[in-house]
Amino acid sequence: MSDDAKRIDHSRLLAEIDAEAARRRESGELPADFERELDLVFARFAPVHAIGDDFGQVLERAEQSSFIDVLAPTESSMPVVPQVKRLVRKAITWEMRYVAQQASAFATASARATRLLGERVDRLERVVGVDGSAPPAAAKVDPDWDHWAPVLIAALGTRCPGRVLHADAGDGDLVGRLNSAGLDAYGTDPVSRSGTAGIELRLDVALDHLAALPDETLGGLVLSGCVERLTAPEQQRLARLAGSKVSADGVVVVVSAHPRAWTDADPVAADLAAGRPLHAETWVELLCRSRPTGGAVDVVDGPSSNALAPVAGAAPDLAANLTLLAARVFPPDSYAVIARPTA
Amino acid sequence: MVAVHQFIPTFASRDAIGTHARHAQRILRDMGVESHIYADGAPGGGRRSARPYRSFGWTRSSKGGRTWLMYQFSTGSVLAEYLAARPEAKIFNYHNITTASLFAPWEPHVGVELEEGRRQLEELAPSCELGIAVSEYNRADLEAAGVARTVVSPVLVDLAARDVAPDPAVLDGLLAAKRAGGGDWLFVGRVAPHKCQHDVVRAFAAYRRLYDPAARLHLVGGIGSHAYFSALERFVVGLGLGGAVRLPGSVSQATLMAHYRAADVFVCLSEHEGFCVPVIEAMGHGVPVVAYAAAAVPETLAGSGICLAAKDASTVAAAVGRVMGDDVLRAGLVDAGRWRSEDFGLARTSERFREVMTGLLTGVPVP
Repeated sequence: MSDDAKRIDHSRLLAEIDAEAARRRESGELPADFERELDLVFARFAPVHAIGDDFGQVLERAEQSSFIDVLAPTESSMPVVPQVKRLVRKAITWEMRYVAQQASAFATASARATRLLGERVDRLERVVGVDGSAPPAAAKVDPDWDHWAPVLIAALGTRCPGRVLHADAGDGDLVGRLNSAGLDAYGTDPVSRSGTAGIELRLDVALDHLAALPDETLGGLVLSGCVERLTAPEQQRLARLAGSKVSADGVVVVVSAHPRAWTDADPVAADLAAGRPLHAETWVELLCRSRPTGGAVDVVDGPSSNALAPVAGAAPDLAANLTLLAARVFPPDSYAVIARPTA
Repeated sequence: MVAVHQFIPTFASRDAIGTHARHAQRILRDMGVESHIYADGAPGGGRRSARPYRSFGWTRSSKGGRTWLMYQFSTGSVLAEYLAARPEAKIFNYHNITTASLFAPWEPHVGVELEEGRRQLEELAPSCELGIAVSEYNRADLEAAGVARTVVSPVLVDLAARDVAPDPAVLDGLLAAKRAGGGDWLFVGRVAPHKCQHDVVRAFAAYRRLYDPAARLHLVGGIGSHAYFSALERFVVGLGLGGAVRLPGSVSQATLMAHYRAADVFVCLSEHEGFCVPVIEAMGHGVPVVAYAAAAVPETLAGSGICLAAKDASTVAAAVGRVMGDDVLRAGLVDAGRWRSEDFGLARTSERFREVMTGLLTGVPVP
């Protein structure tokens, strides 16, 4: 390699190039919006989904495209072809114009309707307070499966009439326990996690997965995690899907944090969260409504980490009052609502 | 007799992967290894050198010896499914798969094909005995997909054989324009979204405004996406550069040589390149390179050109302006480029490929 080649100091060269580009921009030789102008010109010809997801920009593009040019280009590198093209264009322009006017009118009306719809959505978002920024995520506490797994296995029974789905399954801990108990279980979770080998875990959102299943496909359904995160309308939809996708003799179980325990764990995130856990009574109501064939719906309380210790030697009245007080002040950390067919 | 048969989705004898496969076949045969090329499609002259892949089951003849199937991997193809079902050992010769999101908005069906390629790469990776990547960038891709054993062996391309006499009429035309004033920018590659010819046009527009109002840009290469080509043509006209930017399409080797001969600078602003043979070819012809540091391009250049971290129009224009105005820098880049291109001479790359194949056949892995 020559001395010239060896002498190239790339980092210094790049710094000098950057400085030169900045100097040219600052001197005004290149207008401040030059790059943007170039982008806008290219965006006119690029497919609409290549220019990004900005609603305003896409709508603007739709409005621009609503004009239909009836004068087709006539250039050609071949001899005589331009003349032939011009002749054809002249001959059919009156008809093209007639069709194009109608197509343009339809496209303009559609673009206008979309713009009005967009403005209504904007107003709605302002009222509801949705501004695109995600609220802080409330602390996610995985249920204590050591406590709940035996309860669920007993509820589901070993003769479940089909596969058992656990949503959201996390790393598949409960699915593994259900499989070990002889059930044919699989899990879904919206977050990709490394699960245990041999456990069927699918990357999917609970609502989407259930919606895609044919009716009465599942023998059992365990819902956790998502039931603490979804908004009230989504939770109602979840209950309806649970009712339709689980067979009439199957079992639906909701394992959820108690609303108060969930709020106490992180009050700020809880206040700002879009969704929150429901009370057990609400799930009882929703599951009863979603299972037209009827059946029993029971609530099983989990342990409370703040339970009052029994007072040794307390009078029965005092002990009873303390139990009542503990139930009011220190609810269980979690609960399970179990909907099963009538025996 | 041992055999290493190659499988290639589309065997076009003139494109980079087709040429690579032919050289690989020659090297293998020189080593005494039986080797045929099987393809799903072979347009034009490719039919003479490649067999239909479905004929593999009844035409192979390596009785008794071990057989490897080498897949020239660059996109999604039915070949991947076919190879997955075959019992023979598999080798990937990986040229990289273009990022689908760059293509999909323009050519949705190609986007699907590329996504399929990624999926197939990950599915086949565990069964791949050896992944031969044409660059370190590609090797990292193979490892991320789960290929356990990988090596780098550059693209096999005979740069000397491609150096034919330039088309005199084309060269005269280009040199006549140059005498009238203005520098010549060149980029060579299929006109496709991931090659970002529109970014070259953007930078060229800034350059004409700031440095050289008489400059010309030549974007040589066949159409890789009709939608993108059409948008590019309209973009050029929309910027009022119709007389300065030329899109000659796919050209003969002699015409290509005329363009290299007349070019003052080679500008590559691609978002994705698994290797980029034209960069090497430009350097071999003494054309200094200004490139955007994406994918395998920095590795291919290896400090022999100007590698930019950003490709905003003013920065690229400033880089080209520097190359055109600084004779010492220009001489240094030309010299460094020639040295770098010699690293990819066919003798050297063939030797490396032979070394890798010997390692495979003898069971002694090469680094």
